[in-house]
Amino acid sequence: MSMIVTTEKALSKRGQGARKTAPGSSALLNRGQVLLFAALCIFTLFNLIPLLWAVLTSLKHPADAFTIPPTLVFEPTLEYHKEVWLDHNFVQYLSNSLIVSAGTVIISVPIGSLAAYALSRIPRQRSGPILSALFTIRMFPHILLAIPFFVMGSFLNLIDSYVLLILALIAINQPFTIWLMHGFFSDIPRDLDEAAALDGCNSWQSFRTVILPLARPGMTVAALFSLLLSYNEFLFALVLTGVDTKTLPVAIASFGGEDISSLSLAAAGAIGIMLPIVIIMLLLQRHLVRGLTMGAVKG
Amino acid sequence: MVRWQRGLWWFLLPSFGLLTVVLLWPLGYALYLSFFDYYLGSSDRTFIGLGNYVELFTEARLWQSFWTTIIIAFGSVGLQFVVGFALALGIYKLKFSARLFTMLLFLPHIVTPVVAALFIKWILVSNFGLLDATLLGLDITPPDWLGDPIWAKISVILADAWIFTPLIMMVLYAALQTLDQSLIGAAQIDGANAWQILRHIIIPALIPAIIFTVSVRLMDAFRFFDTIYVLTGGGPGTATETITMYTYQLGFRMLDIGKASALGVITLVVVAIILLTINKVLTRIYRRGD
Repeated sequence: MSMIVTTEKALSKRGQGARKTAPGSSALLNRGQVLLFAALCIFTLFNLIPLLWAVLTSLKHPADAFTIPPTLVFEPTLEYHKEVWLDHNFVQYLSNSLIVSAGTVIISVPIGSLAAYALSRIPRQRSGPILSALFTIRMFPHILLAIPFFVMGSFLNLIDSYVLLILALIAINQPFTIWLMHGFFSDIPRDLDEAAALDGCNSWQSFRTVILPLARPGMTVAALFSLLLSYNEFLFALVLTGVDTKTLPVAIASFGGEDISSLSLAAAGAIGIMLPIVIIMLLLQRHLVRGLTMGAVKG
Repeated sequence: MVRWQRGLWWFLLPSFGLLTVVLLWPLGYALYLSFFDYYLGSSDRTFIGLGNYVELFTEARLWQSFWTTIIIAFGSVGLQFVVGFALALGIYKLKFSARLFTMLLFLPHIVTPVVAALFIKWILVSNFGLLDATLLGLDITPPDWLGDPIWAKISVILADAWIFTPLIMMVLYAALQTLDQSLIGAAQIDGANAWQILRHIIIPALIPAIIFTVSVRLMDAFRFFDTIYVLTGGGPGTATETITMYTYQLGFRMLDIGKASALGVITLVVVAIILLTINKVLTRIYRRGD
């Protein structure tokens, strides 16, 4: 697996660098640049149509939503945004999503960071195979894990509980967190550990007092990515939750997928689910590539 | 190993202990279950050895779902790669507002997959979707995008491409930024045209990144579930039923746990074969590069 691992490492490092100046580097606006800009604008706009259409739909009364040809000018209403959250239990689904995501992050990120720190400090010939194994684990089909979770959950009467879903999300999140944090810890010079060791610190003390403060920003990034993963996850949430613990993706899938007559409501729900993610994305801007090459968002 | 490093093995304990309980043990249990004739809820569980595997390999539905997976995986990854590479090059060449475009183009990827699939569904749904409503307004009778076996496959491919093209774009864009500018400058002085620069400088330099993203996406495509579940549910009939979708039907709809586990194990083996092949190809390319 070594070459895949090397490539992934190289790619994830690249994402951090600031943008180099473009070829030619003079900022003259020639014709080619204008054409390129126009082409990208058109593509971007076209590409965003599904999203924009959902925003428009969420602001429409049914009379405007079901017209042929589609209406672009209409009297907007926020009624459905209010209704979906207050009258259709979406507030409860949101709190379910938050409980599950928080539970996952609180357990997964600290223990993943501990493991990642150790892996960044033990000799490479020992950490290498472990990291490769973690990479391989990340590629396994989730459905294969969902089956035993479902069976054990039924035996233990844990279907429709937060615990089981949180454990499943930790299982799929842990390899990613270790990989991401391993990158951050590797950037912290080993001299610091050695200096702390000379001062008489044991491994835990030097980790606690010297390394951890420096790794905080990295842990924040790992936490945000893990949050995103748990918030977006669908398969496990679908099979392990029920009426009481349903998360937002499961709720919107059944709500928006089946009944076309409540289109405006479903669109309002979908847009609401999307908004926090846009905020997280803006916070994560600089780290997107690093996390994404490691499969952060889609597990 | 130096003395201060000795305590480090303890740091691995919480994570690996938990992974053993929530990942390795369940996977082992699934492998074990795949050798049984076992329906969830029924009390008898009979050991049938490789019975489930034999049954799966001899039925048409498995092979059909396998080919559907291949068609959808290669179709969407191919489309994603072409569009993603073009976008990465475009943004790379653009001397201003590159960050704005990366963010805007990136949105479809970061949105919750289920929500993204719904966005596409509301475009394609018959009669009232944006596409149908527009076409009907122009007096054109549109095909049933999600209900016709062939169009449903195309729709799923397009939806997957909509969601994952940004990923390929971002990774290739990041790789482009590490290109050696002096090489391109030298080539321009020597009179190379844009196509020659692309063909002989840019693409060779990006080969590892290209193979990496394409292969990760191919493996993802074998597992992908959310988009199909929302868009077509595997239908019409079994026209868009991928291996994962079929496993879901077996395990969670028919509660045929033994057979579903066996299919999960088969998927794992297929993904592992792809992974090993890619590793081999990458190794060869790196060696040649040295």
